[in-house]
Amino acid sequence: PAVARENNCLNAAKACNLNDTCKKYRSAYISPCTSRVSTAEVCNKRKCHKALRQFFDKVPPKHSYGMLYCSCPISDQTACSERRRQTIVPVCSYEEKQKPNCLELQASCRTNYICKSRLADFFVNCQPETRSLSGCLKENYADCLLSYSGLVGTVMTPNYLRSPKISVSPFCDCSNSGNNKDDCDKFTEFFTENTCLRNAIQAFGNGTDVGVWQPMSPV
Amino acid sequence: PRLLAKEVHLNVTDLGLGYQTKEELIFRYCSGPCVEAETNYDKILNNLTHNKKLDKDTPSRTCCRPISFDDDLSFLDDNVVYHTLKKHSARKCGCV
Repeated sequence: PAVARENNCLNAAKACNLNDTCKKYRSAYISPCTSRVSTAEVCNKRKCHKALRQFFDKVPPKHSYGMLYCSCPISDQTACSERRRQTIVPVCSYEEKQKPNCLELQASCRTNYICKSRLADFFVNCQPETRSLSGCLKENYADCLLSYSGLVGTVMTPNYLRSPKISVSPFCDCSNSGNNKDDCDKFTEFFTENTCLRNAIQAFGNGTDVGVWQPMSPV
Repeated sequence: PRLLAKEVHLNVTDLGLGYQTKEELIFRYCSGPCVEAETNYDKILNNLTHNKKLDKDTPSRTCCRPISFDDDLSFLDDNVVYHTLKKHSARKCGCV
């Protein structure tokens, strides 16, 4: 292979650090997300989440989406994909000592005003529809991407899974679901097996959906 | 006369701080003459060193230096570890 493979996620990080706004808000979340506060805790998760929300609120989507939705070749499971997985500093913003049940996590999200409204937005704007060409019920990739990025910095913070195809999930699973196993599976599949969201992410990564990328803050 | 920070586009590895990464940055630095900003203090130092009244001491005179620094810079290294540099690049320069 004579062609040097471009690492889109690395290129997005370079572009961010050459832009004063993106550079400022990037380090403003990486600092709290990587600072150990005690021997027991790797970081102050509350501060990390808040700074992540600020990053997506203040930085133009060209840069913030560029890093979150960068495209990596399917064959790449390291340099590019790992960098994309690290965008949100998962060791602090995502992982927990124990994986909660997804329905329990959803219930805890509902007790928080920001999380509740952002999760509702995500379910509306990324609703899949197999009969539509886009794969989405509301044929608007920009709204779906905005709603998804709006979840970053809430207890529902999603991240890419280590999987050959694009698959994302909040940090939870469906063990111990009891009678609610079906509901729980439906909830997780909205993240992991969502054609609308997958198409939206791929379209942004490939630059095929040149929509209007107005920075609008989710409520 | 106000001194402006000059800028140069570099690789993080160019900084020579020992990091292994492919990320980049804009480095801003201070450079320029400070003769006009000199005080009696600087003139005296100049005369005293010239007349060898200070033994071997050579105290620094007015220098073009950062008076405030750029925002922090974060980057991911090749071993997937984040680093944040503070006070690495100039925002404003002055003769101090």
